[in-house]
Amino acid sequence: MRLLVIEDDAILRESLAAKLKEGGFAVEQAADGREGLYFALEYPIDLAIVDLGLPEMSGLEIIREVREQGKTYPILILTARDRWEDKVDGLDAGADDYVVKPFHVEEVTARVNALLRRSGGWASSLMTAGPVKLDMSRQELMVNEVAIELTSFEYKIIEYLMVRAGQVISKTELTERLYDQDFERDSNVIEVFIGRLRKKIDPDNTINPIETLRGRGYRFALERGPSG
Amino acid sequence: MSSLNARLLISVSVLLLFFFGVTIVVLDTAFRSAGEQAQADILDGHLMAILAAAEATDTGGLELPADLQEPRFGAIGSGLYAELRGDQGDPVWRSRSALGIEIPTGESPASGVRQFLNESLADGTPVLTLSLAVQWELPDGNYRPFVFKVAESLDSFNAQIAQFRRQLFGWFAAVALIMLLSISVLLRRLLRPLRQIENEIGEIEQGERAFLSGQFPTELTGVARNMNVLINSERARSDRYRVTLDNLAHSLKTPLAAMRALLNQGKSGDFADRFNEQIDRMDEIVRYQLRKPAASQAENLVLTLIPVKQEVARLVEGLNKVYHDKEPKIETVIDNDTRFRGDSGDFLEIAGNLLDNACKWCERRVRITVRPSSGNKLDGGMNLFVADDGPGIPVEDADALLQRGTRLDESTPGHGIGLAVVKEIAESYGGKLEIARSDLGGAELRVTIPAS
Repeated sequence: MRLLVIEDDAILRESLAAKLKEGGFAVEQAADGREGLYFALEYPIDLAIVDLGLPEMSGLEIIREVREQGKTYPILILTARDRWEDKVDGLDAGADDYVVKPFHVEEVTARVNALLRRSGGWASSLMTAGPVKLDMSRQELMVNEVAIELTSFEYKIIEYLMVRAGQVISKTELTERLYDQDFERDSNVIEVFIGRLRKKIDPDNTINPIETLRGRGYRFALERGPSG
Repeated sequence: MSSLNARLLISVSVLLLFFFGVTIVVLDTAFRSAGEQAQADILDGHLMAILAAAEATDTGGLELPADLQEPRFGAIGSGLYAELRGDQGDPVWRSRSALGIEIPTGESPASGVRQFLNESLADGTPVLTLSLAVQWELPDGNYRPFVFKVAESLDSFNAQIAQFRRQLFGWFAAVALIMLLSISVLLRRLLRPLRQIENEIGEIEQGERAFLSGQFPTELTGVARNMNVLINSERARSDRYRVTLDNLAHSLKTPLAAMRALLNQGKSGDFADRFNEQIDRMDEIVRYQLRKPAASQAENLVLTLIPVKQEVARLVEGLNKVYHDKEPKIETVIDNDTRFRGDSGDFLEIAGNLLDNACKWCERRVRITVRPSSGNKLDGGMNLFVADDGPGIPVEDADALLQRGTRLDESTPGHGIGLAVVKEIAESYGGKLEIARSDLGGAELRVTIPAS
């Protein structure tokens, strides 16, 4: 999944980005408000982390503009101002949650995961669909209570599909959201990874978790469990 | 005597009273002395007529005709009396009108001198008397002394004076009343701009108006303009203060966050933990200092009337996002037109912290109730109660929790500091924060702020 971090403090931004990449996300970084707004509107973003006190353009303005342009992805505010006035203004403008500085980076990743899951319609970080269980906080996939060994890219794909269980996701979207740099858009890499995932999750072809829709993309097809 | 209107009215009344008093006394004196003079002249005329009518008799006396020219001498009790006395003081002749009336003898004047006296009859009727002693030349060539005396009752004269005074007082009272009435109307008109300024300042203090309207007479435009400048600078100061604090917060906390992130990369165990602790402490100090109440009671001019229901609705909407997973059921019991007089940041701080805590601790239910502190919804005070169905706060912990910055539960960050901030803000408005048990089963935090 592709995240956008808009934060003017370089150390903070970079360590946040590093931590998020570690967590399996593709991360775009912007150091000022204008650049941030450009990324937020033009890039395929799944979630934005926005600092409120930015040069060039305030975080609030970015959020308002993003929402006005019809973008619905979750937005997490980073703020040094923890007066309720500022929090309410941010949430009012269209943000979904806030983290007050100085935060622990783990706090941010936890909120990010929760927001992503929420935007996919899941109520808990433990997503269950049939025999398949995905624990976002631990980045763990289990089938019939047996943990499946996955590479980080494989995990990214199954997480992306499962968070959006029931939705059709095109190959292009997957490429855009999962790669850090956009290269070789029409390669068969995605197909290869999907094939490997199918083998790992469903070696006997009994549950068919990932459906292929010809010319349209893929869909996580299992019924959502009680937590969804 | 604090009102200009009353001061002016009282001063003008005193002046009027003095002026009219003097006028009344002068007029009364003048009228009275003119009247007395006229009375004396008339009396003198009567005396002369009697003198002219008197004729010496052969017996060495004087006699007067039965009917004098003045008919009042002939009518009994007419109020005009005449008498002629001989040298022994014995009455020689008396007018018919004096029948049964004792004219006071008085003191006989020296010969040839007219003597006016204010005397009274036996029944107390005041009379003005004129006596004249003469040496009458008798036909035999001798001179004999006689005293002529005329007296006129002052009853009708006094009645006239009284009548005059009554009219005088009546007219002057009427004039004074009319003048006072017109002056007070005039004052009302003249002072209307002052009263308007007063009302508008009241409205500013109530938060119903931002500035003075500026439609005042020339003498007051300066005052109004300066007042507006003052209000403006007061607001600007309050805004600047907040912006400064915001910038300070931002420029302090971002490096703190960066330090924390750097530590995290290093992962050096015990050292990192201790460093993090120090960062926590610094953070807490900054947070506490920066979230202090924005407005104090002295800064009346920057306070506004906050629509409580709308502000709480914004908070609840925000909290519903933040507590999306927990989905607490937040119930608001607030009338549409309830207003809190204060700084909107302060209000959000109170309601936000209490609601946030309640959402954190509740099982499922949170309820916020805001009522005006008196019966009047617009008086500006409020009772804000936030209840939840969580574990509640034990009585023995309540006091410690309300102490500045105390944390009861380290695992729920910011719990203590939030309450300390709420308490401080409530107290800056002359109110208080109390911890009680709610009927939902958990804690109920009660902020009561009286009307100012």
